[in-house]
Amino acid sequence: MKRTVLLLLGLGLFFGYALAQELEYFKVYKPKSGMNADEIMRIKYFNKYTLFAHDVAYTGKAYFIDKSGAIRERSTARKRINLGRHSDGIAYKDLVVFTGPTQVKGLATLSWSYLDPDRDQDVWLWLPSLKRIRKISASQADDSFLGADFTVEDITIRRFEDETYKLLKEEDFTGYTSDFSKKTYYVGTPCFVIEATPKRANWYYAKRLVWIDRSYGVNIYEEKYDINGKKFMTLFRNHEIFKVDGKEYPIQVFLEGKDLRSGHTTVIVNETVKIDQGLSEEEFTEQVLSRSRW
Amino acid sequence: MLRKSFLVLLLLILTCSSAVAEISKGNLTIAGYLKNETSVGLDTFNEISKFKNILQLSGEYKFNSELAFFMSTKYWYDAVYDWYEKYDTAQLYMGHIQRADWLRDCYLDYVWGQWFLRLGKQQVSWGQADGITILDRLNPVDLTEYWLPDMADIRIPLWMLNINYSPKLNSNLQILIIPDFEQSTAAPPQAPFSFRSYRLFVKAKERIEAAPGSANKLPFGTLGKNYNGTLNTDIYYPSKQFRNSKFGIQWQDRIKDWEYTLNYLYGYDYLARTYLDDVTVQIPPFPANVTFNYSRRFKIVQMLGGSINRSFTQPGLLQGITLRGDAAVYFNEPTYYGDVTSGASRGVNRWDNVFWLMGLDKTFFTDWLVSFQFAQYIMQDAKPGVDNANTGRPYTTMNSYTYGAQDQVENIFSLKVSTDFLNERLKPEILWSFTDDNQGRVSPKITYEIKDDLWLTMGIHYFYGEEQDSNGQFRDNSQFYTMLKFTF
Repeated sequence: MKRTVLLLLGLGLFFGYALAQELEYFKVYKPKSGMNADEIMRIKYFNKYTLFAHDVAYTGKAYFIDKSGAIRERSTARKRINLGRHSDGIAYKDLVVFTGPTQVKGLATLSWSYLDPDRDQDVWLWLPSLKRIRKISASQADDSFLGADFTVEDITIRRFEDETYKLLKEEDFTGYTSDFSKKTYYVGTPCFVIEATPKRANWYYAKRLVWIDRSYGVNIYEEKYDINGKKFMTLFRNHEIFKVDGKEYPIQVFLEGKDLRSGHTTVIVNETVKIDQGLSEEEFTEQVLSRSRW
Repeated sequence: MLRKSFLVLLLLILTCSSAVAEISKGNLTIAGYLKNETSVGLDTFNEISKFKNILQLSGEYKFNSELAFFMSTKYWYDAVYDWYEKYDTAQLYMGHIQRADWLRDCYLDYVWGQWFLRLGKQQVSWGQADGITILDRLNPVDLTEYWLPDMADIRIPLWMLNINYSPKLNSNLQILIIPDFEQSTAAPPQAPFSFRSYRLFVKAKERIEAAPGSANKLPFGTLGKNYNGTLNTDIYYPSKQFRNSKFGIQWQDRIKDWEYTLNYLYGYDYLARTYLDDVTVQIPPFPANVTFNYSRRFKIVQMLGGSINRSFTQPGLLQGITLRGDAAVYFNEPTYYGDVTSGASRGVNRWDNVFWLMGLDKTFFTDWLVSFQFAQYIMQDAKPGVDNANTGRPYTTMNSYTYGAQDQVENIFSLKVSTDFLNERLKPEILWSFTDDNQGRVSPKITYEIKDDLWLTMGIHYFYGEEQDSNGQFRDNSQFYTMLKFTF
């Protein structure tokens, strides 16, 4: 159950975590020549968490592929509203619902994320087996997300302030070929390569190498290394550019994470994306969560 | 009549709504499952105590974003009642061993601005407690398998009007009008989870009605065992009138980071209590005819209570902890008293009782979720040995499950630990619920996802305690179980 909750939260936050960003909400930022690693990474986090949009809604699927090739599948519907509101410190709210398979159908989470980078999320869970809402504690950052391929913080709660950054080089990305989609992405895309080192001592990784698309400031690929310098995890993100009111929004539509130790892979695919539909904050309340029929 | 009225109302809303014109493809969702539940006794490992197959089908139709219809139907069959003669009595009481809830859920959802209406047969849950029903008393419960199934399967849905209004963001006023009535159900005598109090009552009836002078005959006054006995039991349901409806109201809001609810419930309790109305002795003829007339009656109870919860999200010692609590006062709650030695109830007293609970949840060691609950059930006016009913007889307050002694203050604890392995496919969990009377239940289980649509659960329910205790009464019924669920 716990991982299912993590999955819900992670899917909800697939595009967002709005903590302590210094960039102004609802604007579009792109890297510029001469920016340092910190400036680039601020834009990267801003875009990762879709802070340029007022609201986003997705339907999609997550696939869990074990070493033998066996696939398990989850389908979800999710939506979020960005607030960036200083009066109560709320950055944004997410509502994520499992729509399949039947065993988990109806399981849903509502989460509120705060501007304060040190503050945990508030999370409510709709449990079909109890037919009621349960307030739950926020997940731990180093907990596995979607099995063992990447962690909760990879997807949901890592913030700019958690690491220090060094710009290693600029290069054209060699391309990433997905084992799942069999497609090759981002061949020859100009990138910044940034080394990110966690501030926490004895953390589960020693450093990350992150490839940032120079054009849109999005993280397309990263490798994670342990204390012995051994690569143990890769995470790829494909983006599509959505044009809304003349602005270009880079949105993650495909994510593939691989745990090189276990051979397990997780894929998240966003099949539909709707941006700035004018969602209301009333749609992100416990009352809405309790209306679940499944 | 009430059910028909509800159906007519639903149809009227459907047909009057412009939404009907918008029916389109793709708005219909149908899902369901087929599940086998098998259990064997831990003491008699070669004997199956449950072999139950369940089919549930659910369907949802969304007319538009404001209007939706949902219904589900459920059918189940437990073969052990056919397999073993020892369950024949239970089968007789149940009338049949297979059941179908053709309309387990059947309701219409309508959202209109700040209003939300759910009209029809449904279950509603109040409160924050896990597995302990303090505020969660809106629906009757099916305790055929004690409190072991999921709460969604234990609650018996009722026809009701569920009216919600949100005057401001994150607040809600809920009004429930429940004209439907069903009593809570328990396992029949000789069934695996038959309550001791029920078994004792049935046994007393058998002894009263035994042949005069037989060894098993229950002695009666100066007649001793020399009488013809009859024990009659009538059950009186609340008449189906609107004034006998159950009414509930809940206000939900938050103050800073604290969420709270205020709850009020008025109506007939779903659990019938047994009253001895009179005993008639007819002499002559000889031997005498002695008739015991019992009735089972439902009483009106009021509940006033509330709940709180808060997750401590700010940095500090408490960060990561979720605190939750329920509290309720039940006014005029019927409570048995009597002789716990012989297990005989002498009557029912009605007191104002208090039930409260606090729960703490926190994740440790990355992904070990620990959940602890402490609850107290306080019968303020119960004073064992004092005759509150002025009957001139001493008595002890009795546990309605067992006719054992009920403490004036019952301390209840539960501890649940859960985690997962193998990329979320293997999910172990252990629940230990117990009281300060050294009785309780330990329930470890493991769920494994074989495929997206096939899940296997294996576990143990281990009961311990004295025969007179709620959990201890099933100490010989500890079981190993499996559940195989195929979903579609």
